[in-house]
Amino acid sequence: MLSRVAESLYWMSRYVERAEHTARLIAVKLDSMVEQSPDEAAASWGRVVQALTGEKLEAHQVDAFAITRRLAFDTENDASLINSLSMARYNARQVREALSNEVWENLNRLYLRLSPVTMDSIWVHTPARLFREALEDMHALEGVTYSTLSHGEGWYFLELGRHIERVQLVGRLLNLHFNAAATEGAVSPKYFDWLVLLKFCTAFEPYTKRYTASIRPQKIAEFLLFDAEFPHSICFSIDRMTEALAHVAPGAAPARRAAVERLAGRLKSAVDFGQIDDLMNGGIDSFIADVIKQCEQIHHQLYQSYITYGAETVL
Amino acid sequence: MQHEAFANTEDFGGPDVAPGPGRISRPGADAPYADYELGKPYDEMFTREGAVRGPYAALDSRLSTLSLEELVRRQQTCEQSFLHQGITFTVYSDNRATERIIPTDLLPRIITASEWARLEAGLTQRIVALNLFLRDIYNEGRVLKDGVIPRTLIYGSKHYRREMRGLPVPHGAYVNICGSDMIRNEAGDFVVLEDNLRVPSGVSYMLANRDVARRAFPAVFRSMGVRPIEHYPLELLATLRSLTPFTEDVSIAVLTPGVFNSAYFEHAFLARQMGVELVEGRDLLVNDNVVYTRTTSGLKRIDVIYRRIDDDFIDPLNFREDSALGVPGLFNAYRAGNVTIANALGTGVADDKAVYAYVPRLIRYYLAEEPILNNVETFLCREEKSLSHVLANLDKLVVKAVGESGGYGMLVGPHASQKERDEFAAKIKADPDNYIAQPTIQLSTAPTFVGNGVEARHVDLRPFILHGAETKIVPGALTRVALKRGSLVVNSSQGGGSKDTWVLSQ
Repeated sequence: MLSRVAESLYWMSRYVERAEHTARLIAVKLDSMVEQSPDEAAASWGRVVQALTGEKLEAHQVDAFAITRRLAFDTENDASLINSLSMARYNARQVREALSNEVWENLNRLYLRLSPVTMDSIWVHTPARLFREALEDMHALEGVTYSTLSHGEGWYFLELGRHIERVQLVGRLLNLHFNAAATEGAVSPKYFDWLVLLKFCTAFEPYTKRYTASIRPQKIAEFLLFDAEFPHSICFSIDRMTEALAHVAPGAAPARRAAVERLAGRLKSAVDFGQIDDLMNGGIDSFIADVIKQCEQIHHQLYQSYITYGAETVL
Repeated sequence: MQHEAFANTEDFGGPDVAPGPGRISRPGADAPYADYELGKPYDEMFTREGAVRGPYAALDSRLSTLSLEELVRRQQTCEQSFLHQGITFTVYSDNRATERIIPTDLLPRIITASEWARLEAGLTQRIVALNLFLRDIYNEGRVLKDGVIPRTLIYGSKHYRREMRGLPVPHGAYVNICGSDMIRNEAGDFVVLEDNLRVPSGVSYMLANRDVARRAFPAVFRSMGVRPIEHYPLELLATLRSLTPFTEDVSIAVLTPGVFNSAYFEHAFLARQMGVELVEGRDLLVNDNVVYTRTTSGLKRIDVIYRRIDDDFIDPLNFREDSALGVPGLFNAYRAGNVTIANALGTGVADDKAVYAYVPRLIRYYLAEEPILNNVETFLCREEKSLSHVLANLDKLVVKAVGESGGYGMLVGPHASQKERDEFAAKIKADPDNYIAQPTIQLSTAPTFVGNGVEARHVDLRPFILHGAETKIVPGALTRVALKRGSLVVNSSQGGGSKDTWVLSQ
């Protein structure tokens, strides 16, 4: 597969994952804010904004309309839903020949549907509906990607992009909640915030099946970090990443493969053998930060091994 | 290709295909033809007296049963389908990029079997002669020594590539993909307006339009014995394969300038349909005169490149050094015989608008045959007698700059103001060698759906000719439509659209 094509598929998938995550956070937040006190809602919105854009909001800046506009439709905000979709589509457009018609048309249609939407048109009645519908479209996109595209090298680059992105998004969200839990007052997550965290990760029902409906931060951390079966857990994503790495670049020289696979293997064993008990007395934030950092290293090595390698290194 | 279907299954096998008994459609009087004007030009659907021509009877009959709303709905469905598939080009204005679809008309243009047979024979004759001409001028130059065509016209052309002299080209096939522009004159004969021998585009629209028209009029389509065109990508692949001496594991790539090029959809479409790699200049590198693509698994050799980049931009080491689209060293690999480039470099010299005037003479010279297809009468301003005729008759002529294409650098005399004509006359006098003139031939008109009825619009015809080890012409073409009433400009960059072309099997 052309290195440029692999690169575009990888980024297309990262942007779709980011768009889906953004849409879900907004939808869940818009639905749940009505059940919270103004201070708690402000703290919760603040965590959403920080998770998605890295920006810290002061309590008085929290205005659901302005935040939703900024996170969803602001083209000046690199991390906005519409920019993520636009970048996903831009990358997909460059590799049309590597995608099935269904994949392209689903993504293109979603973008064309969302790009003319204005806040005024959705805010009056049920603003969350648009984002829930966008999520349904993205699930459909995921479905046709799985069912219409050959599960060859290109598909595994999509998997890599999706899961490298997901680990970082879920990791950031977990870290923000556990950092806030270490403080007192309105910003400290309440029972309801932990429930919302599960919903941010589509994890509420799977979690209750595993641990019953008793919502406890430690169990949530265990579930989202170490559950081997739940698709939005960090352990699951790292497992998929490792498997995808075994399938890409089949003809690459062993040394180039080993450089990436070694990094992924190290990360996988850290997560496979991690214990929640070791982390709960402090250390969970540095553990997650380290996972995110290792993902970045894997990303860089992926580029060096398969995408931007110098011609002189292989001739 | 896959698209959403038109929801009109009731169309299949309906009893309404045969012309209704005794019904006579009168252009200019009855719906949907109330605003259909029959003028001096040949009309594809109606005779001068306003009777429906035979091949259009079934279509006419179907149109008379469809409501305006239904036609509008079908037109919208087709536009939606183009938009969702990304069959668009980008228009930049006010710092905003807008994507537009190339307008497509629902109504097919129909060509009879005998008309097609003549076109096919004529186009084959023409491409064979043009390739012999290219081989000649890049080798011994017999045609120049024999004084058939002026030396200065060839060596002075900005499209003549000295670098190509003496280089062997597989099968002597310099032009492998050609898209000639044809028009139908007032007498109803097809004549050649332009040979596009460099990087002609539009074939993807030929195929996309087929999907549209077939789904808009399935029963009519089935009843008429329309010849299929879907195998074009296969024929293109076979042509490209025939250009390399290797037979096993031939590696072919389509070279595109990239996603911002207006024909990018077509490049990706052809690569996908042929199952070959779509590459940009930055994906390729040349080492030791061999061309490679950079893949995740390492470097992979490329044998044939179907390039959709102009000569000038293909290799910054040998041609324009400011080109970021090309591949440094590509031409050296080509010269070394390690890669085939289709079309070959330097073919533009033969579709120069001045050389065009000589093509009938070239056919006689190389093939000792009379041309089957005529040219449009052409005055070369480089010849003094022609120049004075052109300047005296600017209000009746179309004047074109020799090296331009796409409708640029052109004066349509009868539609221009006196001021525009005077300005253009000054340009011609300053550089007569650079201009040719042709009488304003009326393009034929064809029925076109315009939103509130069916009206006559001017059309041309672009068939696609493939030439490798043998010549192949898929029985179809792109029919381009000037969507503005009365306009003769069919170029998509200037408000043109297109429609499907049905070649009948008998």
